[in-house]
Amino acid sequence: MSIKDEFTKGLWRTIPPFRLVLGLCPTLAVTTTGINGAGMGLATTFVLVCSNLFVSLLRKLIPTQVRIASFIVIIASFVVIVELVMKAYFYQLSQFLGIFIPLIVVNCIILGRAEAFASRNNPVMSLADGLGIGLGFTISLFVLGSIRELLGNGTLLYYDTSHPGFYVMWSSFEPFTFMLKPPGAFVALGILLGLMNLITQLQARKGG
Amino acid sequence: MGGDSMRDIVRMIAILTLICAASGLTLSLIYRITKEPIEYQTIKFVKEPAVKKVLTGYDNDPILDRKKIVTGTDERGNPIEINIFPAKRQGETFAVALEGKGKGYHGLIGVMVGISKEGKLLDIGITSHSETPGVGSRVTEASFTDQFRDLSMKEQLQIDGLSGATYSSKGVMSAVAQAIGYVDRFKEEIF
Repeated sequence: MSIKDEFTKGLWRTIPPFRLVLGLCPTLAVTTTGINGAGMGLATTFVLVCSNLFVSLLRKLIPTQVRIASFIVIIASFVVIVELVMKAYFYQLSQFLGIFIPLIVVNCIILGRAEAFASRNNPVMSLADGLGIGLGFTISLFVLGSIRELLGNGTLLYYDTSHPGFYVMWSSFEPFTFMLKPPGAFVALGILLGLMNLITQLQARKGG
Repeated sequence: MGGDSMRDIVRMIAILTLICAASGLTLSLIYRITKEPIEYQTIKFVKEPAVKKVLTGYDNDPILDRKKIVTGTDERGNPIEINIFPAKRQGETFAVALEGKGKGYHGLIGVMVGISKEGKLLDIGITSHSETPGVGSRVTEASFTDQFRDLSMKEQLQIDGLSGATYSSKGVMSAVAQAIGYVDRFKEEIF
């Protein structure tokens, strides 16, 4: 597969929360607004890209018996870096994402890519893979968050009280707060999954 | 065979040690870089609303210009520090805000107190409390906190306590008294 293929596969064919149905805990928990989803996605992308790069660079050096331990140390280091930087420069986002930032360590997408891809491929391919999967994850979380925010709050791109984003619904719109609660996350994710499957089926029928 | 597996084990230990050491080194570096901004952000988002309430008419950033004052040591001998937020006009400190703590009905009540250079209380703002909602929590209301305005720090505090919330009212008063005490003790360092 070419570098371009490795990159684009993460954006549609194996887009993490929808196709692989991995990393569901942050996907469902933090996507109450689009910005929160994107913030979580970008933090995960940074960790994924860096851990893929380092795992790939060190893949010939790390003995197979201790590879998982080594991967976890590498991943955990980058997670702490993200946590510190976010607290220092994006305090409110870090307050909102809270425990889900440290929990990136156990996000199975990241360990999965390290084990299944980066430890068997060269650094360039691993970078492309990490970027693609990470971006796919970010887009998924942003879309899911935006849908929930739009229906649950009537706004788009809300960050905090001084950056309220845009109110896009009509004035008599009654916010559908159910969408901001955990069950709303499952419903929104289910509908998106169904839509993606429908599109894939239609494409296959057209192709066949 | 035995030598091989021995070599394998040594290799494993060496590589893991190296990775962990590199990770620890990087993290301590990042920690040192982000320590100052993190402290600034935490104080800004937690304390700034209260500082803004009790100080007015300044042209500096009281959070950025904050001073640390050691008020004593805890039981382990570590210094206890408090933050002083100075309000400056054209580089001249004319008032400070600082936080005092007093025992309320449930735990400590944190009170941000603004005190002018002349020793007058400007205003107070409750920063943290866990008083009973609807009873003790009324100390956060303006009708109670406004009583502290323009009092002199030299005189005995004369405040009407809230009926049914005696402990909470006393907690706020002792927090204010503590803040006044700090200003009295460290007057030269503060102004």
